[in-house]
Amino acid sequence: MLQQFLDTLNATIPLEGYLVVGAIMFAIGAWGALIRRNAVVVFMCIELMLNAVNLSLVAFADYLPNAGGAGAGYAVLVIAVAAAEIAVGLAVVLAVYRTRKTVNVDDINLMKG
Amino acid sequence: MQQITAGTFVALSPEILAFVSSMLVLMVGIFNPRSVVLTAGLAALGSLVTFAATVVLLAIGFQGSFFGDGYVVDDFALYFKLIVVLSAFFTVLAAARWAGRTGDAPEYLALTLSVALGAMLLVSMRDLFGVFVSIELATIPSYALVAFDRRRRESPEGGMKYILTGMVASSILLYGTVLIYGVAGSANLTLVATTFAGTLSPVGLLGLVLLISGFAFKVSAVPFHYWTPDAYQGAPTSAAAFLSVAPKAATFAALLRILLQGMPEAVSTWAPVMAVLAIATMFVGNLFALRQRNVRRMLAYSSVAHSGYVLAAFAALQGAGTDVAVQAVLIYSAAYMVMNLGAFFMIDLVGEDGKSFNGLFVTRPSVALCMAVFMAALVGIPPFSGFFGKVWIIAAGVQSGSIAAYLAVAALVVNSVLSVPYYFGITRNVFFEEPLASTEEPKGTGAIKFSVYVLAVATTLFALFIGPLAGLAGISSGLL
Repeated sequence: MLQQFLDTLNATIPLEGYLVVGAIMFAIGAWGALIRRNAVVVFMCIELMLNAVNLSLVAFADYLPNAGGAGAGYAVLVIAVAAAEIAVGLAVVLAVYRTRKTVNVDDINLMKG
Repeated sequence: MQQITAGTFVALSPEILAFVSSMLVLMVGIFNPRSVVLTAGLAALGSLVTFAATVVLLAIGFQGSFFGDGYVVDDFALYFKLIVVLSAFFTVLAAARWAGRTGDAPEYLALTLSVALGAMLLVSMRDLFGVFVSIELATIPSYALVAFDRRRRESPEGGMKYILTGMVASSILLYGTVLIYGVAGSANLTLVATTFAGTLSPVGLLGLVLLISGFAFKVSAVPFHYWTPDAYQGAPTSAAAFLSVAPKAATFAALLRILLQGMPEAVSTWAPVMAVLAIATMFVGNLFALRQRNVRRMLAYSSVAHSGYVLAAFAALQGAGTDVAVQAVLIYSAAYMVMNLGAFFMIDLVGEDGKSFNGLFVTRPSVALCMAVFMAALVGIPPFSGFFGKVWIIAAGVQSGSIAAYLAVAALVVNSVLSVPYYFGITRNVFFEEPLASTEEPKGTGAIKFSVYVLAVATTLFALFIGPLAGLAGISSGLL
């Protein structure tokens, strides 16, 4: 019984495990990005989404027979892109904050229709 | 693994030139902060040189695939590079004076050129991750461009709405890419095609849906269009003009390449989706445009509607209609570039309130005629450019032999009629309303007027270009 349990612990985690965790993380991030009203928190949720994708990406890269590990290289690219996006995003949020003293996305509604 | 040879540098020469000129503009701008003429001249020269390099590549019939088949240069890609670079050139001309007054001309022009660089790379990519990275290279500077005008409160607001929705869309696009990569075992479109040849696995289907959603956002298709009116209304006029043409045309080109080369066997899955997107996008774009009083916002909704027209060509990418549909996308992109850039630049010449166009024919007849030309072209009246784009899409839809494509084409015809009131509402103001009593100096610089006149002539005489363009498009539809 105990030995069986220890064997389970030592077994490799199947690809599906990583993918399910990635999907759940992505869903949490997407949900947060939809319901949170603070722009900075929305950025955090988007980071969660991107990192969930990255988790799936490196899992695929490790498990796929033909991938040749290229996925890890792609993951580095994705991290760089995410950093660039956040840098521009925070600068824009700062510009909004300077004129309105708020980063609540519901209050920033000059343009409609 | 392929060697990097001199041919690789020849293939990349337009991109290298665009990159160098963007960096040069930035560097020269830092050391000569007051000299707008110098930086704008450099940016315009850079785009002209890039244009020349692309024309040379096209003329000598340069073709090939590079970087392990991830990057291709074919006539299709070069054609879209020409459209991107030309619109960058006109945008630089139109933006120069305005950018100079903000005091940050080098940054503005360098950002414009890097959007162009991203769009140029995008049309050559045959690797899904390459597509993602170049889309981001085109999108991230465009966030900054939209939020650039800090003196207007709308601009950072538009930028923030754009960036929040844009980043969610990017992660959805990336998730789709990763799932397809996982199912296919490679991100190269040639290898993806073998996976999508049989019955689709659920994961592959999910990847396809997410990928199409991400692209639908980037081309502002309904239901992912909410950022478009706010971003374009907030953005500086030249940025709105550029973003509605160049990155959008390049994104359509990339989507076309992915669908035709990466998943041609799954056409029965994605073509109806494209038809539904097209029909919804046309109707929403036009119905919302009807309600607008602000010309900038009206043109933003009009660009949503025009995305719908192009998507109708995507619905026709099957059966006998395939070649004509590819040609339709190519010709529509060129036609849309000349008419839409011009229509947006008119805002810098006249004003963004619909009333500011009143009696323009009395006060400034040549400018008024240009506006009439652009509006007629956007409706699709012959002989102006928009007409030919629509004719090609209709021809493709009719030949495709699919019910969904027929419906999309029928919706296109209905929507062309639907769009008449708001385009001609402005034309009516121009010709039949009394001019507003105003002591203001007429707006606009010589450079903007020059761009508008050139674009108006190109829009009017588009029929003369249609021969060479169709010939080019005929070759181009043979994707490498």
